[in-house]
Amino acid sequence: MKDFLRNNGFLILVIAVLLALIITVVSFIMTGFADPVSNLVGIISTPFRNGINAVINWTEDRYDEAFRRDELQAAYDQLQKDYAELEEKFRESQSALDENERLRNLLGLKERRRELKFEAATVTAHGASNWDSTLTLGKGADGGIEAGDCVVDEYGNLVGIIEKVGANWSTVMTVVDSDLEMGGLIARTNDAAILEGDFALMGQGKLKLSYLPESSELMAGDQVLTSGLSGTYPSGLVVGSIEEVRTDASGMNRYAVITPETKLDSLEQVFVVTGFEIVE
Amino acid sequence: MIKWGVYTLALLPVWFLEAYVLSRVPLWGVSPMLLPLAAVAVAVLEGASGGAGFGVAVGVLCGAVYGTGGLIVLGMCLIGLGCGLLTQYVLRRDLLGCLLCAVLGLGLVDVARVVMRMAGGERDLPAMLSLAGREILWSLVFVAPVYALFHWVFQRVPKKTHF
Repeated sequence: MKDFLRNNGFLILVIAVLLALIITVVSFIMTGFADPVSNLVGIISTPFRNGINAVINWTEDRYDEAFRRDELQAAYDQLQKDYAELEEKFRESQSALDENERLRNLLGLKERRRELKFEAATVTAHGASNWDSTLTLGKGADGGIEAGDCVVDEYGNLVGIIEKVGANWSTVMTVVDSDLEMGGLIARTNDAAILEGDFALMGQGKLKLSYLPESSELMAGDQVLTSGLSGTYPSGLVVGSIEEVRTDASGMNRYAVITPETKLDSLEQVFVVTGFEIVE
Repeated sequence: MIKWGVYTLALLPVWFLEAYVLSRVPLWGVSPMLLPLAAVAVAVLEGASGGAGFGVAVGVLCGAVYGTGGLIVLGMCLIGLGCGLLTQYVLRRDLLGCLLCAVLGLGLVDVARVVMRMAGGERDLPAMLSLAGREILWSLVFVAPVYALFHWVFQRVPKKTHF
């Protein structure tokens, strides 16, 4: 070895200097790139580094699992609890938004119909009998509700009439119930007639307008309102619109089929008209 | 008394299904009557006296669910009594016997409704018969599950009747 260095020392020195020069020049030319030697070292060592890194990570994970499992589980449980709370809040806010919307509509209705006094009530159940059409409300005599009061939705469309009143509940006979009977008025022609529930139409969610004046010329889409002529119910509440005009079995009398304006199946909150002034 | 308490507990899912689930998704425009089926099923299994007693409890619940007056309590009691007698002396105490009793029981309920409405001035008999027919047919679909529920309870409660 000593002889080898003695005999070839100069040659090795020259090669080393040349190599250093070449590396320096190449590094200068390829600015931003690793020099060839470093690159080569990197290429060779990268798989080893990756392997070592993987082993370290695996060991850390096992350590975490062994010694920090409870901590992680607690953090996970807390996150789940937070998530459930957020979901609950979201649902509540959605419900509040819906209620807010309804109350805004009611506010508009109150502005338009200053002569009416309203009491808000929640629909707690829809009638299960096929022979009647009823709703149960979560307010009763305690809320100032009385039998015979009109019930409207947030837009002022007639939903029905209070039929029975308990202390904190009441039932509504809806506008399509076959027992309903009240005065109606066709808005376009001002013709008065009788709104009444019909057994055959009740299943279809409709009612009829009977005792039409001989001279009345009705059109599909004509709006029908409560007449309020008897003084029992307020006037001007929207009941629905005329779908078609039919002749009864005797062939003598005409009646109109009315589609209610309110959506009876999807009502969640209604407003009971607990008082009204008769406007002349 | 435990026995009748368990029967009453079994009545709760039937009531919930009828009042809050099936009433929201009507078929052919009608929802089925499950509570009278419960009275019939217990009458078939327990006989006349048990059927009459349970019929009273079902009648009270029917009054609340259907919004009818107190007459339905008497009606359910009589249906329970009648169905119990039928299966004690005429029909077999099985699903078929229960089905026949259910046809009779539901028929009686709806005949009573039609008669009362006609007495109240309602004249549209075809519409009422159509509704009654659809209601009875749709309700009969639920005889088997309701009978199975109460039969399951019947096999697990003491056999002595206290009524």
